[in-house]
Amino acid sequence: MERILEAKRLKKYYPIRKIGRRSYVKAVDNISFSVEKGEILGILGESGCGKTTLGRVITRLETENGGDIFFLGNNISGINYRKMKNFRQKMQVIFQNPYDSFDPRMTIIKSLETPMKLLNIGQSKKNRIEIIRDAMEKAKLTPAYDYLERYPHELSGGQLQRISMLRSMLLKPSFLVADECVSMLDASVRAEVLNMLLQFRSELETSILFITHDISVAKYMCDRIMVIYAGKVMEIADAKELISNPMHPYTKALISYSPTISPQKERERFTIAGEVVTPIDPPPGCRFASRCPFAKGICRTEEPEMKEISPGHFVACHLID
Amino acid sequence: MLNMPFMRLKKVDISYKLENASVKAVRSFSCDIEKGDIVGIVGESGSGKSTLALGIMRLLPPNALLSAEIMSFDGKNILNLNQDELRRIRWKEISIVFQKAMNALSPVHKIFTQMYDVITAHSSDIPKGRAYKMLTELFGKINLPSKVLNMYPHELSGGMMQRVMIAMSLIHNPKMIIFDEVTTALDVITQGQLLDEIKRLVKEFGLTAIIITHDIGVVNEVCNKVAVMYAGELLEYGRVKDVIFSPLHPYTKALVKSHPDLRIGNELIKGIPGSLPDLTYPSKGCIFYPRCDVRLDLCKDVKPKISVLGDHIVKCHRIQG
Repeated sequence: MERILEAKRLKKYYPIRKIGRRSYVKAVDNISFSVEKGEILGILGESGCGKTTLGRVITRLETENGGDIFFLGNNISGINYRKMKNFRQKMQVIFQNPYDSFDPRMTIIKSLETPMKLLNIGQSKKNRIEIIRDAMEKAKLTPAYDYLERYPHELSGGQLQRISMLRSMLLKPSFLVADECVSMLDASVRAEVLNMLLQFRSELETSILFITHDISVAKYMCDRIMVIYAGKVMEIADAKELISNPMHPYTKALISYSPTISPQKERERFTIAGEVVTPIDPPPGCRFASRCPFAKGICRTEEPEMKEISPGHFVACHLID
Repeated sequence: MLNMPFMRLKKVDISYKLENASVKAVRSFSCDIEKGDIVGIVGESGSGKSTLALGIMRLLPPNALLSAEIMSFDGKNILNLNQDELRRIRWKEISIVFQKAMNALSPVHKIFTQMYDVITAHSSDIPKGRAYKMLTELFGKINLPSKVLNMYPHELSGGMMQRVMIAMSLIHNPKMIIFDEVTTALDVITQGQLLDEIKRLVKEFGLTAIIITHDIGVVNEVCNKVAVMYAGELLEYGRVKDVIFSPLHPYTKALVKSHPDLRIGNELIKGIPGSLPDLTYPSKGCIFYPRCDVRLDLCKDVKPKISVLGDHIVKCHRIQG
């Protein structure tokens, strides 16, 4: 398989001012992973765990504090803005709120056509509009002319999010970061957006980093899922394996607390107390130790290593041999 | 009033007057709630579920118009109460908890001051010392440390603030609590913890509850009955296991199909094409007609009647009861 993206020991620390000393929020701390061609890797975590920061660092919307990012074989960490431009076409992002990612004063056609023009896709304006129309018809945004002359505020969130996906996909990227792209959508619309993303993946073989807080959506979308907590990877495995055989106590809790519409009631709940912690100058040891019902002495002093417990299933936990 | 259910809503209509139109947000909504029920009202954005909650509490903005055939609660008619009578009911008989706890609390007063305010609203002779003791005990019941009383809202996390709001709603031992999207902005684990607590409190305090949510998963976790709303109308109402596991209305069926679930196999989820109808127009036929995939010619012009099948209520021409 072809490796599209690889992150090695990626770090992003945000300094915060405190009287007398400098503190850091370790939003992304030593995270390594890779994404293969055509693969959807889910980044699962709660608010403040660093999943969005990770997406922004990977796409170089923020500068990392350490580590390497290899994209299509090139090390893109630390390269400047101008050099990064060469990779932008191949690396696209979809954000949570589509109203924020469109210029409110541009019509949809202008928003879609401009990036194509800048990247020399299509010979003429006419040709580009044709390409856009075809793509819209294919994405069932029909009739296309009904959308093209409109402004973002005239469309619903679901329609606009699908157009924002289309805008990225027109550039035929190799890699796409979808950051909570369905979180503000209603259930009936969400399904359409998710299916459209899956369709793009199978057509263009785009690799996707799918950032979400919803484990049910992650299960539906992803090939592999990486669970992160307070800036650290807790567990990474094949999606089915992770959900049917979670090893890390945090993953177990996440699964146990997710609402479900399956008829089997009275499930045994794997309860944990407390709330998400912000990794400000985190103490040594496992980040999850303060909430873990099984935490031992070693969990508070030594950071657990990533262990491969079965092929492709990695866990960072002292309790697992 | 003999043989009246605990709460009866019959033909409740709520519309918002705009400059040159009126939005019919709730249309002829009828349902009965028995004592001890936890009723989920589920619907997508714009379905009128929050408007209905505000209507029951009579907290609608001045441009809203409420009318109903019957609106009774615990044997009392609550439709024609004046402001004074309403004040006696709020907090004491029915209380409501909103989605954005942040906005419901004053940012410049300590939690205790705000809670004491609510206490004195109905029993002015309680001294501060006793109130403090009472609140400490109450906080213990919903897993809040008593030091929260001396804190300001900005010092609390979202989950803690929501717990404060729930504690506040319990102060005067109301008979009913309406939870309006209380867990929507929270993380999965915090949401699960809170839902567990709500379930426990309802039993412990002998409450009746209405839970407004857009997530059928949440409904399945806590409710025993569910009302499915679409564009202001009630389409299906009944016990959770009937409505979610063997839905009768095409909209409910589609809603269940659009829900990715953690514990149910890998079926393809499906969206509902189309969007909400324009709520400024009265609908002639079935409100779901434009998006329904099993519609009949009849559905376009004739409003379906409510079919009653035991305690399962459906509004669809295809269902005869």
